[in-house]
Amino acid sequence: MKNKSLSTSTIPTWCPGCYNFQILAGVKNALKGKEKNTAIVTGIGCHGKLFDYIALPGINTLHGRVPPTCLGLKIAKPELNVLGFSGDGDAYAEGIAHLIHAARYNSNFKYFVHNNRVFALTVGQPTPVSEKGFKDKTNPKGTKTPPINPIKLMLASGASFVARVFADVKQVEWVTKEALKHKGFAFIEILQPCLIFHPDKGLKEKTYMLEDEEHDKTNLEEAMKKAEEFDYNSINENTKIPLGIFYQTKKPVFEEEIRK
Amino acid sequence: MRMEILIAGPAGTGPNFITHILGELLIKKGYYVFYSRDYQSLIRGGHNFNILSFSDEPIYSNNSKIDILVALDEKSIQKHEKKLKEKGILIKGKEKNSYLLGAVAKTLGIEFSYIEENLKQKENFEENIKEAKKGYDSFEKKFEIRALKNKKIEFLNGSKGIAFGAVNSGLEFYYAYPMTPATPVLTELAQMSLENKHLTIELENEIAVVNAGIGSAITGAKVMVGTSGGGFDLMSEGLSLTGIAKVPLVFYLAQRPGPGTGVATYTAQGDLKLALNAGHGEFQRVVLAPGDPIEAQELVAQGFYFSHKFKIPSIIISDKHLGESFYSCSEKPKFIKINSKVKLERYNSYEKDSEGSATEDSRIIKENILRRKSKLKEIEKEAEKFEMFKFFGNKNSKNIVIGWGSTKGAILDAIKGLDIGFIQILYLSPFPKIEEIIKDKNLILVENNSTGQLGDVLREKTGILIEEGNKILRFDGRPFFADELKKEIEGRLR
Repeated sequence: MKNKSLSTSTIPTWCPGCYNFQILAGVKNALKGKEKNTAIVTGIGCHGKLFDYIALPGINTLHGRVPPTCLGLKIAKPELNVLGFSGDGDAYAEGIAHLIHAARYNSNFKYFVHNNRVFALTVGQPTPVSEKGFKDKTNPKGTKTPPINPIKLMLASGASFVARVFADVKQVEWVTKEALKHKGFAFIEILQPCLIFHPDKGLKEKTYMLEDEEHDKTNLEEAMKKAEEFDYNSINENTKIPLGIFYQTKKPVFEEEIRK
Repeated sequence: MRMEILIAGPAGTGPNFITHILGELLIKKGYYVFYSRDYQSLIRGGHNFNILSFSDEPIYSNNSKIDILVALDEKSIQKHEKKLKEKGILIKGKEKNSYLLGAVAKTLGIEFSYIEENLKQKENFEENIKEAKKGYDSFEKKFEIRALKNKKIEFLNGSKGIAFGAVNSGLEFYYAYPMTPATPVLTELAQMSLENKHLTIELENEIAVVNAGIGSAITGAKVMVGTSGGGFDLMSEGLSLTGIAKVPLVFYLAQRPGPGTGVATYTAQGDLKLALNAGHGEFQRVVLAPGDPIEAQELVAQGFYFSHKFKIPSIIISDKHLGESFYSCSEKPKFIKINSKVKLERYNSYEKDSEGSATEDSRIIKENILRRKSKLKEIEKEAEKFEMFKFFGNKNSKNIVIGWGSTKGAILDAIKGLDIGFIQILYLSPFPKIEEIIKDKNLILVENNSTGQLGDVLREKTGILIEEGNKILRFDGRPFFADELKKEIEGRLR
């Protein structure tokens, strides 16, 4: 189902078959009917090209600066739907301080992280979520540090909505709609294998939906346990990756609080 | 007549209380007052002092020799006694600060009713008035400060000027991260926000501050961000973004000595070239330098005007001396009306096409760059409608002092009685056309930095070189004293 009203004339330059196309389609589907009151903010990296393929106002901003830019938009126009998009380099390397504080502020914008566990647009260097031992031309001996777990980080930082999906049209559309229904900061990580630099073949088959289980998304401890099931480091025959909404709660919203 | 009073003591014991109220009393008496603050980067103890100067004619700076020393501890006496003039008076005591306020008011011959009236409007007044009376009665009258014809005077520091200017321009959001000496503007605006519509928002760092500022500004809102040296460095990536994306953002840059952490609570003019050149790539900006609290109000408004008219960043450059010194202001600021046509559309940090999408098309890149470049001519033309520089003193003199920003006060006081003109540059970018006025003149540069940055800019813009020997530069973190500066200038007159 194509949502033509949001299309631009720019021809996408993502690699053929890139999972970003799935994300783009899912987001556009979810935004149907919201075109008039929505702005998008993107960072720098492959994900950032999404700005060019969705005809919505906003800004394709600097690397790592998506959260404060979204915050500024929401502060100035609280009634606007604001969707921010980052890559894992954007969110977890360059801008990680902003990410933690975004969870603390709980401004009512939705933040999507296209996580392919690699700096793809700069041709394949490791990010903070690449597995230990990741090799590329800049790390011929392999990296020495384990990855961070962004879901745990967001839960610990007080995010009021924490979700993870796979880069699949239906999952992205569903989670976007859920996030838009949530009042407050929504953190959505999208596992998005990079066909060229981090293919993660068979990753999707290792995932399962929390919504299919008896997961209590209002329970922070339960959410933490679920978050620990996948450490972003080792993927083997036993790996099980939970997807869906880990945690959701109600918290005061920044742009409303500062006006009180 | 003119007098200097130095009030010194450990931080937290009240030199600021005494100084400020004394200033208010003298203004009430019809005098012009100026006071500067010298304080260390600590909260309690240490050694702070203020110098308050007052006169029956306008003054804007301090002299180095003092008439009265008010010392709140022994250290203050040791440090400042030698600055006392031959017949100077020492007022000392470990008593409460209101006691010493009473003592100095009595010494000057200010009636006690003035103190009573003033303190009544403040907190804890009963005890303060009692203490002040004790001090008043324990000292002898040494001067007779007669009441002058009352003028309408506002007692403002540069930070209040910046804040008032922003609010008068329709400020909606002020983003900041605390950093001396920019913080007083944040404080002032936060206090004013209790009665006004604007919001002040403190974020996790200056990078968040500038980017949140950009997020708000692209909706057409009137937004200002404020910081000092290192914080401005962190903002320069965002500044560059405002340049390509056409974001109307106003920056307040309060200078302190650098590089690095420098000297946090002292003054300098070392960031002029930073303001003019910060940010990668080529883009237009307006850089404005007020020299007193009235100009601060006017130039902040003009910064908003240029930012919203041309969708460019503006930088208001001030420093600790202007930001934290109090001036008696008798003029009313003139404000410019700001109509913003900025609206939420497709902004981009990349070169963009007609749809607002990123492009690598060589033709569009070149067009975009030429469009940004050609704005300079429009900005220059528009700027000519404003007072880009001021000329004080003798227009026909062959001697001209050139300065910018907070040195204005000391220069104005220093050139009194000299055969000299003074050009104060308010617009650093675009730069005013002053070649015709300064060519063939004996130019004397006065700046609070070690390299004479305005001199370099002047050379770049006009081709006119100021001789090394004619550069009067102070770079010890302290402002110029008018009397010392006068001697420096006199030695260079032709």
